[in-house]
Amino acid sequence: MSTTRPTLAAKPGQRGIDPRSPRFGAGITAVLLLIVIGLGLSIPIGGTLAARATEPAFLLFVVITALFGWGAFAGVQRHPYGALYRALLRPRLQAPTELEDPIPPTFAQGVGFVISLIGVVLQLIGVPYGLVIAAAAAFVAAFLNSVFAYCLGCQIYLLLVRVGILGSKGAAAA
Amino acid sequence: MEPIGVALTLSGLVVLATALGLVWRSRQGRVRHTDGRTTVRAADVPGVRRFARGATLLQFSTEVCAPCAATRTVLGDVAHSRSGVAHIDLDVTHRPDLASRFHVMQTPTTLILDGRGVVRARIGGAPRRDTVQAELDRILTAA
Repeated sequence: MSTTRPTLAAKPGQRGIDPRSPRFGAGITAVLLLIVIGLGLSIPIGGTLAARATEPAFLLFVVITALFGWGAFAGVQRHPYGALYRALLRPRLQAPTELEDPIPPTFAQGVGFVISLIGVVLQLIGVPYGLVIAAAAAFVAAFLNSVFAYCLGCQIYLLLVRVGILGSKGAAAA
Repeated sequence: MEPIGVALTLSGLVVLATALGLVWRSRQGRVRHTDGRTTVRAADVPGVRRFARGATLLQFSTEVCAPCAATRTVLGDVAHSRSGVAHIDLDVTHRPDLASRFHVMQTPTTLILDGRGVVRARIGGAPRRDTVQAELDRILTAA
């Protein structure tokens, strides 16, 4: 993975993104996660590490996890689904009525990355349904984001800061 | 699991997520009237000396909140269109202490304060323009 990481702080002067782009990407993610869950439920978890690491549900889930990581670390503007949106959908749609700050969807990608990474680890250590449950949690978030424009950062950022999972510079108290 | 069980589980998940989404959406922008016993002191709000004499729309935002920008526009417009009404946008990304003090769990959250700083209404999620106008009518007429 690339180590170049843009600063997430800058806002003035930063270009906004088409708000439909992350929702389109979340839709693809939601469908792929449903496939992961279906495969994970159909095929019982393997007895050996090698078997667990080569199950189709696991392999697809690793790809999804890597894509979340891409969005989280490179920024959602550089996500492959964003490129897909610009190439396939954007030319067929009207111009967006407003542009959106890329920070909220990038934060959501980070949350998706952490949840799916937990699923990957649970699968590798052989926890039954660990992968399926992590994929289901990620599916609900991606589905809500895509269909309802649900904003994950709005709901959980302050909660995470309050319970101390996310640090906050300059905070007088958590 | 058998294919029929898998299909049922997947459909159940989609139904569950849809239900969650509908509940979430119906709660966005809903006004809660408060008991009028909570008062915000102007000194507690960074960058504020005193509140507007009519009402103040006190918005809480963070950097990771997509609808906060649109909320800023709506509340700013409403405040501009009425005399004695001010809009304050408080970014609590790095000030979770402020979020805790005002019991803000989600962003945007808007507190509508009267001229004395008493919290008269609370709106979680992106507020609708007409809802805010109606609340201001209520507060400003009663004052």
